[in-house]
Amino acid sequence: MRYIVGYTDTPAGADALALGVRLARSMDATLDIVTVLRSEARPTLVPADAGYERFLHETAQGWLKDAAAAVPRDVRSEGHIVYAESFARGLLDVSRDLDGSMIIIGAARGGLLGRATVGSVAGALLHSAVVPVALAPEGSGSTVGLNRLTRVTCALGTRAGATELLDAAVLVARAARVPLRLISLVTLDMDDMATPPDIAERAATHAERVLAYAAEHLPKDIDVTVLTASGTRVEEAVGQVDWEPGEIVFVGSSRLAKPRHIFLGTTAAKMLRELSVPMVVVPRDPALTLED
Amino acid sequence: MSTTKPATGLSKKGLSAGSVGLIGAIVIGISCIAPAYTMTAALGPTVSEVGLQVPAIILVGFIPMLLVAFGYRELNRAMPDSGTSFTWATRAFGPWIGWMAGWGLIAATILVLSNLAGIAVDFFYLMLSQIFNNPDLADLALNPIINVATCLAFMLGATAISYRDMQTTQKVQYVLVGFQVLVLVLFGVVAFIHVANGTAFDPTPVTLEWFNPFAVESFSAFAAGLSLSIFIFWGWDVTLTMNEETKGSRSTPGRAATLTIIIIVLLYLLIATASISFAGIGTGEFGLGNEEIQGNVFFALAGPVLGPLAILVSIAVLSSSAASLQSTFVSPARTLLAMGHYGALPSQFARVSPRFLTPGYATIVSSVVASAFYAIMRFISEDVLWDTITALGMMICFYYGITAFAVVWYFRKQVFASARNFFFQLLFPLVGGLILAVLFFTTIIDSMDPDYGSGSNIGGVGLVFILGMAVILSGIVIMIVQAIRRPAFFRGETLSRGVSDGKEDDALDELPV
Repeated sequence: MRYIVGYTDTPAGADALALGVRLARSMDATLDIVTVLRSEARPTLVPADAGYERFLHETAQGWLKDAAAAVPRDVRSEGHIVYAESFARGLLDVSRDLDGSMIIIGAARGGLLGRATVGSVAGALLHSAVVPVALAPEGSGSTVGLNRLTRVTCALGTRAGATELLDAAVLVARAARVPLRLISLVTLDMDDMATPPDIAERAATHAERVLAYAAEHLPKDIDVTVLTASGTRVEEAVGQVDWEPGEIVFVGSSRLAKPRHIFLGTTAAKMLRELSVPMVVVPRDPALTLED
Repeated sequence: MSTTKPATGLSKKGLSAGSVGLIGAIVIGISCIAPAYTMTAALGPTVSEVGLQVPAIILVGFIPMLLVAFGYRELNRAMPDSGTSFTWATRAFGPWIGWMAGWGLIAATILVLSNLAGIAVDFFYLMLSQIFNNPDLADLALNPIINVATCLAFMLGATAISYRDMQTTQKVQYVLVGFQVLVLVLFGVVAFIHVANGTAFDPTPVTLEWFNPFAVESFSAFAAGLSLSIFIFWGWDVTLTMNEETKGSRSTPGRAATLTIIIIVLLYLLIATASISFAGIGTGEFGLGNEEIQGNVFFALAGPVLGPLAILVSIAVLSSSAASLQSTFVSPARTLLAMGHYGALPSQFARVSPRFLTPGYATIVSSVVASAFYAIMRFISEDVLWDTITALGMMICFYYGITAFAVVWYFRKQVFASARNFFFQLLFPLVGGLILAVLFFTTIIDSMDPDYGSGSNIGGVGLVFILGMAVILSGIVIMIVQAIRRPAFFRGETLSRGVSDGKEDDALDELPV
């Protein structure tokens, strides 16, 4: 498996690289550290300057060298400089050409209190990638370090049709040999009302079903737990759950997504804003998924 | 780990061959020259030097520019480097002269940045007054505090755009350049219609004498006019260096450069003859000899010529200045970057923004210096726009001249290898360099006269002279400080002197990117 790390010589790039190392260690994958330079195919007011392009290329090589030096020895990595119209385009191209299994990027700066915001790169990727996209929250590289994952959490809706998401989470938990936690987020329309019995019941049945499914596909020594979180808003529901710094959260794509593409749904987008742990968005019907 | 590239069809170089077509190359060329801005800034000072013979000077002024541009292209092929004149002059003549060439380039671009922003401020308030039909608004540009504040705001905007490397789409570029050309043609044609109808301000019939360079009164005036007309073609050389990335046949860049220059020369001749014919060179309200309007002639003439359509001129000059601000920002930043890279300046200058891939630190420094320069000049000069343009012509002659001689010296061992080498690597740059050297020294000597140019002076010495000397002397001082603090570059350890052995040219047909 090859994981594509979208790298820039910035704190966000370092976060992405750190997450990449953690995932690669847990999943025994190879890292492809990619720096995207702008292709001169785009229109500019000044003609391209060969000398400057060469300087940029050399500088980018230096960045990749530093990045590679930060990767521990037990993780195989390779650096690439690619040229594309945009950072997101470059990562998508390289992921396609190298048959990447996941794209890993750092979240844009500026999210409140360490929470991820959907920057332009993430936004573009999260609406068009065909492989899972992992987002490293701001500063996660320095706080969590390069250790393996400690837990996999999978956020499931109460609606049917999320099996590919569950599969992806199960596969990662199995490969990384870490506990799996399944979360159902239930949003209520009124804040002063207790959960209506029928909704609570439906959620409970759903939770049991997915728990059984996950337990069936996991070895006995891997814990599976299930949790239902409710709140008037997704943000509130997310806030009620405890999160470990070393865990990773899987969320699915919106049903608006084209088959095999990611389209960031509203629930996932809200979670992304709230969470301070890395998040993996899994495409609908993943073609190149975290296969075993 | 090596930075290998996967063999699976990822583009191998940044310069994708064939990204710019013929039209695209012409658009870039015209956009870099920014004819609307250039004409409004340079026409008045040129008239004050050579009177009616502006069209002649435009035609003659093109010659040294062309000759040097040929040499520039040779160096750009042999040693593509973002430091351009700095790197080339260092390779040919060693660190000291190279440093000063880089300094000259930076100074010239900083002068033009401040002038551009100044012109933009004038037109910004003119446009507001046209929109709201309130002539008082245009006078706001005369208030130095408001003027400087607006100018700083423009510089801030241009810096942010350059720093983040925001680019307009090709379509927007085409529209802006097309609009600029159309408005200039409209201005010229309408001015002639006024002349024919007898409604012009000071109808002056066009005669062949206007095109005769020998009719200029004195050599000093001729030289001063010429150094101004070098400024009006400045920026054209970029079309010559676009060799690798133009698509189509090998002749595309040459054709693009030729077509660009034909369009520009025709446009300049039309505007120059039309303006002079309409307004004359007298010192009346709209006369081109009127010192009040010489720093920015369209500002004064747009209304009388185009009436209600004058706002088109404002928009054309504003968009032209904006495009030019952005393209001009690139060259000092890249030269500063190269100087930082080779150790001629502190290494922060070589920093590239990892997010935007631009020379971030160098861009900000250029912007701060240009802003400060404009603010100071606005208060000490009687006519800041005029004086900066004249000083600019001098600095262009300085660093272009050094670059031209660098061509001759760098290629000295191979100039007789072929007829092509002889012309492009020896004769053309040598003649061009000599012309520029003569212009440079003539301008220096003449500008000591307190009446030179706009008549700004400090203690009886012309402000243009003081400006030029201050720029060159401060360059020498900073160079000596750098030589003490960072001697490696000045010992030739980071960028050594060299001479072309003729092999490099062939090897470099394929860009080493």
